[in-house]
Amino acid sequence: MTTEASSIPAHLDPSTYPRIHHDATHNIHLTLTYSPLDANTYLAQTSSPTAGANTLFLGTTRDTFEGRSVSQLSYTTYPPLVLKTLTAIAEDAVKKHQLKGVSIAHRLGVVPIGEASIAIAVSSGHRAASWRAGEEILEACKERAEIWKREEFVDGGMEWRANADRDAEGNLVKKDGS
Amino acid sequence: MASVSEKRLESSSTGAFTIHYFATASQYTSKNTERLPAPLPLSELYPLLEERYPGIREKVLGSCGVSLESEYVDIQEDAHKVIQVGDEVAIIPPVSSG
Repeated sequence: MTTEASSIPAHLDPSTYPRIHHDATHNIHLTLTYSPLDANTYLAQTSSPTAGANTLFLGTTRDTFEGRSVSQLSYTTYPPLVLKTLTAIAEDAVKKHQLKGVSIAHRLGVVPIGEASIAIAVSSGHRAASWRAGEEILEACKERAEIWKREEFVDGGMEWRANADRDAEGNLVKKDGS
Repeated sequence: MASVSEKRLESSSTGAFTIHYFATASQYTSKNTERLPAPLPLSELYPLLEERYPGIREKVLGSCGVSLESEYVDIQEDAHKVIQVGDEVAIIPPVSSG
């Protein structure tokens, strides 16, 4: 028999990426890729003559976690679920803030320290909607998007991270109020 | 129905479903994916995994979600559902994008 253990499922095979989803009705663009993220691409996707505000968020990889030096980090995802989740997040934001466009891109595999792991571009008629929507989309992604980060440390060892353990300022979240 | 000999062929496409593990679940099982015998009632999924990977229920599965054919299922409320031959199941640990 061929060894099932050694075969890589499609969602972990970089050659099956990028996975791209485009909804022309809401001007939503989603990208999952093993290549570096290009901010200009996402800004161009959401640009519109009807937009007066265009915001871009880049989440970049940090070299420490709680003082421990991170040597390398990498991401994996499960496209059947994450594309549905990201679509729902983007659609909600478009409707709530009357956005002209949303682009969410996440990089997979090893992301060198200092490079972007997530890019969010948002355009709207006026600035308040873009600022707010950008933050809301990011927080929703952190909470719900089926993507996992693995950190490897200089001092050895590795850990899978869980966003629910940290708030937007990087502080530890108390699990139980009691 | 599959014959007894066919049922023994876990690695064949007959009588099996695919289960994907991510993050802490893949770490615990040392696998990204495997095939398990189907059909299997959803209520028997966690007991089966506990049997194969002792301790996984308490250490990993307690904080995980489960998807069946790209839809989240509730291991308790949907206990009556049955994982069919060819279905795709995923164990979804707490996420960490960004």
